[in-house]
Amino acid sequence: MNNTWGDMAQYDPVTWHWVIAVYLFMAGLSAGSLLIGIGLRWFNQEQTQVESNILKAAAIIGPVAISLGLACLVFDLTKPFHFWLILINYNFQSVMAIGVLALLAYSPLAFAYAILVLRDDLPKWGLGFLVPIAKLLMPFRKLIEVLLFVLAIGVGAYTGFLISAMNAYPMLNTAVLPALFLVSGLSAGAAANAVLALVMFKTDSHDKTLAKMHGLELPVMAIEIMFLFMLFCALYFKGGAAAAALASLTSGVWASVFWIGVVGIGFGVPLLFMLLPAATRHTKGAMIMVACASLTGVLALRHFIVYAGQSYLS
Amino acid sequence: MTKRYVMVHDENKCIGCQACNVACRSENGVPEGVTRLQVRVEGPYGEMPNLHFKYHRVSCQQCEDAPCVKVCPTGAAYVGEDGIVSIHGDKCVGCMYCVAACPYKVRFMNPETKVADKCNFCKDTRLARGEEPACVTVCPTDALVFGDANDPQSEVATLLNTKITYQDKTHLGTKPRVYRVPTKRGGI
Repeated sequence: MNNTWGDMAQYDPVTWHWVIAVYLFMAGLSAGSLLIGIGLRWFNQEQTQVESNILKAAAIIGPVAISLGLACLVFDLTKPFHFWLILINYNFQSVMAIGVLALLAYSPLAFAYAILVLRDDLPKWGLGFLVPIAKLLMPFRKLIEVLLFVLAIGVGAYTGFLISAMNAYPMLNTAVLPALFLVSGLSAGAAANAVLALVMFKTDSHDKTLAKMHGLELPVMAIEIMFLFMLFCALYFKGGAAAAALASLTSGVWASVFWIGVVGIGFGVPLLFMLLPAATRHTKGAMIMVACASLTGVLALRHFIVYAGQSYLS
Repeated sequence: MTKRYVMVHDENKCIGCQACNVACRSENGVPEGVTRLQVRVEGPYGEMPNLHFKYHRVSCQQCEDAPCVKVCPTGAAYVGEDGIVSIHGDKCVGCMYCVAACPYKVRFMNPETKVADKCNFCKDTRLARGEEPACVTVCPTDALVFGDANDPQSEVATLLNTKITYQDKTHLGTKPRVYRVPTKRGGI
């Protein structure tokens, strides 16, 4: 402290740290994996008797990721043991309050759906006592699925709305952010579904549903790149503090996170693998590697947006 | 008529002595390491020998359209009947959304109460007793004027009508209620 007016630590514009970035990632991952799992099930018009391994993977990732994310969120509070206050007091102007309501419906539904989809696997994991619940829920499957799908879109976009609602930060206060987070959540969801289906459920790398999901990856990535381009263009043409925030792409540690993590690993590695001969790139090892690269890229994107976004004030 | 409490900081009269900063800390029991109010001495600006400093009061701007109140999920950040933006400590969970959303970066987590904290014009203490905020009373050069701008007879109303003033970051639409009289170049 070398000034007369006192400590400046509290005035650091970066208020939210990596825990929040991880939460945003987990919420997007959870929503994305369920959207992909349920979406593919509808698209394939799958029979209820046999669940695809992709759907099983999504049914696990959905509730587990959102639980981990919410744990991050609660322990990042300054009063973690008073988190219940947020469940009984609502300010409907606040994106966070609306998010709490969405998560209150989404999280239990994700667990219910997991029990339902994994009913044949539960006894193998010593969770056989949950099977009667699955039987009870079965008649409501379509309803749960539709609700969960809609809520997943809400949760995926919510993580973007949450931080775009702050006009203090020009890079965050943009209309494209919720869309960007929803789409990058889809690419994380697809990647995590693939990893779990391949590793945990020993899916054949030529599985039909897996192939369909694989086919989604390139268009999803293209949309993600387009949204990022739109974000940076909007900042550039807005000028002033918004244009100044673009310095985060050329200087500082977050520029490296963006170019190496988001672009190099997240987009570059999957694209490079597409150049390999089909026999090589469709091996289990290659597919897992590509999926892990995508996940790393999405996690890096959340960190870049959270940190670089908060570093520049309007 | 409803009250519209505002504060005017005359940057010509301010000498950056931090008496306001200290008075605020003692009146409101602000713990060490955090502050509700600082006057930053910025500069010098200009060319020798015509140098000047800028005295920048950094404290809650008491926005009429406050981003912190909009984002607070529990309603802990609220606008009182007197228009003053304050905090219900018992409703705050410490999510830091308000701290992040404040464009002026004048909200902070109180390390003792674990609750968001900031200037509230001494609402619960001095204002409740009919006194002026501690910073206003203690200022040795009378650089601070506080009052109800809706009362045409008040000193602040006269001041706002007769002096050139500016507010911080008006482009964000927050309508801050801390007005500043800019430094005149070349002395008072």
